Formats: sequence, structure tokens, C-alpha cells
Amino acid sequence: MEEKYLVCEDSLEGIFTGIYDAYAFREGHEHIHIQIGEEENLKLFATYRYIFPDDVKTGKVIGTIQRRLGMDIYVALCKALATDDADKGQAVYQTIVDALTRGSGRRVLENVSNPYVEKTFNLCRKTGNEIHRLMEFVRFQELEQGILFSKIGPVCNVVSFLMPHFSDRLPLEDFIIYDEKRGIFGVHPARKEWYLVTGQELKLDERLPYSEKEESYRDLFTHFCRTIAIKERKNLKLQQQMLPLRFQDYMVEFAEK
Amino acid sequence: MEVRISPQMSLMEKLNILADAAKYDVSCSSSGSSRKGDGTGIGNTVKAGLCHSFAADGRCISLLKILFTNECIYDCKYCLNRKSNDVPRASFTPDEVCELTMEFYRRNYIEGLFLSSGILYSPDYTMELLCQTLYKLRTVHNFQGYIHVKAIPGADPELIRKAGFLADRMSVNMELPTAESLQKLAPNKHRKNILKPMRLIQNGISANKNELALYRNAPHFCEAGQSTQMIVGATPESDYQIMSVAEGLYQKFDLKRVYYSAYVNVNEDKDLPALPGGPPLLREHRLYQADWLLRFYEFTVDELLTEDRPNFNMMIDPKADWAVRHLEMFPVEINRADYQLLLRIPGIGVKSARRILAARRFGNLTFEDLKKIGVVLKRALYFITCNGRMMYPTKIEENYIVRNLTYQKERYPFSMDGMQYEQMSLFS
Repeated sequence: MEEKYLVCEDSLEGIFTGIYDAYAFREGHEHIHIQIGEEENLKLFATYRYIFPDDVKTGKVIGTIQRRLGMDIYVALCKALATDDADKGQAVYQTIVDALTRGSGRRVLENVSNPYVEKTFNLCRKTGNEIHRLMEFVRFQELEQGILFSKIGPVCNVVSFLMPHFSDRLPLEDFIIYDEKRGIFGVHPARKEWYLVTGQELKLDERLPYSEKEESYRDLFTHFCRTIAIKERKNLKLQQQMLPLRFQDYMVEFAEK
Repeated sequence: MEVRISPQMSLMEKLNILADAAKYDVSCSSSGSSRKGDGTGIGNTVKAGLCHSFAADGRCISLLKILFTNECIYDCKYCLNRKSNDVPRASFTPDEVCELTMEFYRRNYIEGLFLSSGILYSPDYTMELLCQTLYKLRTVHNFQGYIHVKAIPGADPELIRKAGFLADRMSVNMELPTAESLQKLAPNKHRKNILKPMRLIQNGISANKNELALYRNAPHFCEAGQSTQMIVGATPESDYQIMSVAEGLYQKFDLKRVYYSAYVNVNEDKDLPALPGGPPLLREHRLYQADWLLRFYEFTVDELLTEDRPNFNMMIDPKADWAVRHLEMFPVEINRADYQLLLRIPGIGVKSARRILAARRFGNLTFEDLKKIGVVLKRALYFITCNGRMMYPTKIEENYIVRNLTYQKERYPFSMDGMQYEQMSLFS
């Protein structure tokens, strides 16, 4: 049988629409592949179809996943799709097939002997770790009007997973988390619901107008971090293992290094 | 009462002095309590805890760890802040502690506050100050993040109770494992005085559990439990004594954590060891490994150590050490063994054991699957079989396994190519 490649947009809608169409063929799932973005090396004996994101189809797929597999699996799949892996679409598609068609159901992520499930599981864990680390390492800086601003550069698209945590933690603050790699802003106005802004460019060439006391607290914390270390136990390798350099670039206490 | 500190000291100077004085306290965890913000203040807590930064010694910075004051009326020989040391002294005011905590917290620098203190004037006076600070933080500033506070031994039980309702975790430091050592190095502290507040907190927590079962909205008392800390290497106790004390604390006092702190030589004193090789970090590491075995792997101290073998093997970790001395239990069949037995295999931890149980429902597991699950095969392979077969032909023999486990560079056993090499023996 001919191999079918469904070329999807790299977004939740794009991939879920692809999965909907893959099921709509009703040809079994062995020969259908979900591919993200344009392929450079086209395969000879394969057909390529371009899938355009469709809200209705996406809604149906999400509904089915949530109803039949539960919220936990749905969130896990979303996390897997938040990574930058090229084969994430195929992994998630085959995981859904394993759960719905082969019947592993809500326990699907435990079936690690299926290589696609294993991959999804690992991708989900990767995003999970990134979320956890950023919950720790995000640093807010106070701007002039009392707005807290934070810039991050994560390897996975995690802003939408971070916002609920910080909205619960700082309900009375205006704050913004800015993902500079993807141009995504998570915005939380005080006492209101948070929302995402995409497609906006931030000109960070100009210095941000920090508030008057910002620098003094930054210094206090930098000194605190230096003082709290026991010099007899110095272990920079361990420090770097726990706190990789790619995070340190965004953290105030490492700014002077 | 007049305050002894010159008031013109800046916040930066105070923070430097009082963070420096607090750094030998090990506990910095922010785990164990899970609380959503109520939308009217600031802060929540996360069950697993969050480490916001890491210091140059690789230890996490989760809480703003400070002493309220480093003035002290006691003269403990191991302590930098003892009465007889000439070090710069400083004290915060409750407002300063609140300001630092709030401003650090909203910038996501910290997960909460760790407040300890030297003894200023008297235990009661000091505890009162700590309570005042926490009360202000919780009510005036509506802070709902994590707070860890020390219970000062000898303070009024009512004050300790009050602090318990304001904090997530409380701790009283054991300091030293035996009463004799305590007598020798900390003449002002008595074991009875340390255990008394510990018992108070334990009773508070269990009473609170009953209250919470009846009234869901009753105030929480030390939701994240209590912990303690022992100094390792300042006195001649064996690992067996230390671990027995720890086990006793877990069983009789329901402690969440016991911390071990490798002794750092800060004072010159005839009663203290010199430690030319630096703090005993490896020993501390072994104690922590054993501590995990007690809490999560269902081991008891008597299985790990005995009167005749009172110290841990520095070459291999306590779990592997136990396994090679109990080779009659191995190899274990991965597809059949129960959870308790899986936990005893070196290279398999709590997570992999749980995943093995879950994955076995879908079919027999192979070594390839174990690798995916996260089992450390280079350690586990001497002790397991999958479907009746071992990964490589290996000998189940103590010396052979120990040699392979300690040989760092070699990933797989010496004889995986099928050849058996052995030390030639001339006189047997």
C-alpha cells in the first residue's frame, strides 16, 4: 500500500486536524504519517497532502481525547506537542492509535514497549521538566509602573503552562512572561484572567525602564547567593549540573559573571 | 529592652552577616505542603518544592535562609556565632525580614522564608521575636508562601504552638547524635530540651490532623512536618549510631527529614577535630543514601549496619553493599518479583520499580524495555534476570561484582565477550 504523508502546521490545531484526517481515511494507521512542516527530501512512492488547521476538527479530536482518555492524557499529549522535536506529530498520532484503537486506553503511557508511546512519554517528560525548571528560574524585574517583566528562552513552548502557576501565586500583580525565542507573551493583569499575545515584536534594544528600587533588590539577592555558599564545599560542576548555563543567562544573580 | 545593635547598619550589611551565619543550616527544602493562593494576597506552595537557584557549592537556594540575629548567649564549640567568638553581630527587625521576603518572593527569587536565630537574651524572647515576624508576614502582608522556622529549645510551649500555626515546617536541631557529645560540645544545650519541643510539634501535628478530618477549614499546623539536623564528623560516633538515632526519630517522632551536615571547621578548639582533608563529604553522602533507603526503600538500620560493621563502605553505596552481602536472594526475575524485592535491586529506584509494575501489565519485559524504563543496567545486571536469562554471563560472586561495580570506566562486565579472566592464584 502507498505511504501517505500528511503535512501539518507546527501547532496544536495543525497536528490535531492531521490526526482527524488520518482517522477519516479509514485505511488503518500503518501507512499514514504525520509530518510537521515541509519535507526537504520527498519520498518517491508516497503521496503528500497538505493539511490546513481546522477549528471544528481540532475540537472534535480534543473532545474525543478528553472524553475517552481523560484530562491527564490530554495534558500529557499537549506537553509532548510543545517540544521542538520533528517527529512529535507522528509519535502523538500513534500514541492515540495505541490508546483508542489497540485499547490500552487511559493506561497508554505505561505501554513503553511501543516505541511511539515511549517517544511521546519522553517528550512529555521533557516539557514537564522544562516547566518545572522555569517555575524555579523565571526572574521578574520590576518596571516603572510596578509591572513585573520576565524574559525566558526555553527549548519547549511552555509559556501557557507557566501562566496558571504564576497567576495563582501572584494574583495581585501585573506581570508579563516573554518567550523571546517564539515571540510569545503571557500577560496577567492584576485580579484578572491571564492571556497570550503572539506575533508581537518587542524591541529590547532600548533599555527597559526599571523601577527605582529594582537594582537594590537585585544586588541584595546577588550578594545573598554569594554569601550562602560554603566555600569549603565549593563544587561548581554540581552547580552547573543543577542549573544549566542556558538558564543562567536569564537570571539576575548570574548577570555579573 | 534596648537593642544592642548600632541602628545605622544598612540592610545589605545585615543580610550579608545574617545569611553568612545561617548557611550551615542544611535544610532548604520547600516541599511537603500544597496550597493554592486564595487570590487576596501573594503566594502558594507546591508539593514537590521548588529550588530557585543554586549556590557555588551546588546546594539549592529555595528559601531566604537567614538568622533573625546572630547574637547568642550560648557557647557551642562548633558554632561560628558562639558567645566567645569575636564576629560582627547584627539583628533584623521584623519589618526588614518582611520587606526582604516580599520583594524577593514577587520577583520569584525565592520560595519562602527560612528563619532561624541565635539566642538573644533568652529562648522566650527570641521565639517571641520569630513569632512576631511570622505573624506580620502572614497577616499584614498576606504572605501565603512557604515558611520554615526553628523552634528554639527551652522556649515557652505556647510560643512554639503559635509558630506552628504560622509556619509550614518547623525544626529543632539535634546537633549531635548522642547526649555525651552534646554535653561536651554544646554545654548550654541539653538533649531533654531538644526533644521536648520536638515532641510538642509532633503532638501538634497529629492533633491538627484530627481537627482537619473533622473541620476541613481548620487552620493548618506545620503542614510540611518537622525536620532536624545532625553534625557529622565533629564527634567520634559511628555511622551505626547516627543512623539508629535517625531511625528512632523517624519512628518515634514522625519526622519528615533528618539532615546530616558534614562538619566544617570554623572554630579552633581542643575538643574539635582538625579535618585536614576538608569536611567529610563522602561520609555525609553515604548517610543520605542510607537515609533514603530507610524512608523509601523499606530498609532498616540493622540490615545495613551492625555493631561489628558500624561504618558504611566508602567504596560502594549502602544498597549495593547490602546486595552483595545477600547474594542468596539474587538473581531476581524482573517479570515476577514483587515491589519490595524490586526495590532491593541496585540500579532500580522507586520510580523504575513502579514503572516496571505498570509496564508488566502489557507483556513480558526485556532488557531493552528496562533501559527505556530508566533502570541503570550496568548496576542492575548482576542481580536480575528477564524471562529467566541474565543480560550477560556473569558470576554471582561477591568479589567479582564489587570489582565490576567499583570499576568506573568499564560500563559492562569484564567478561561480556564470553572470556573469563581471573587473578592467577599461586598458593591455593
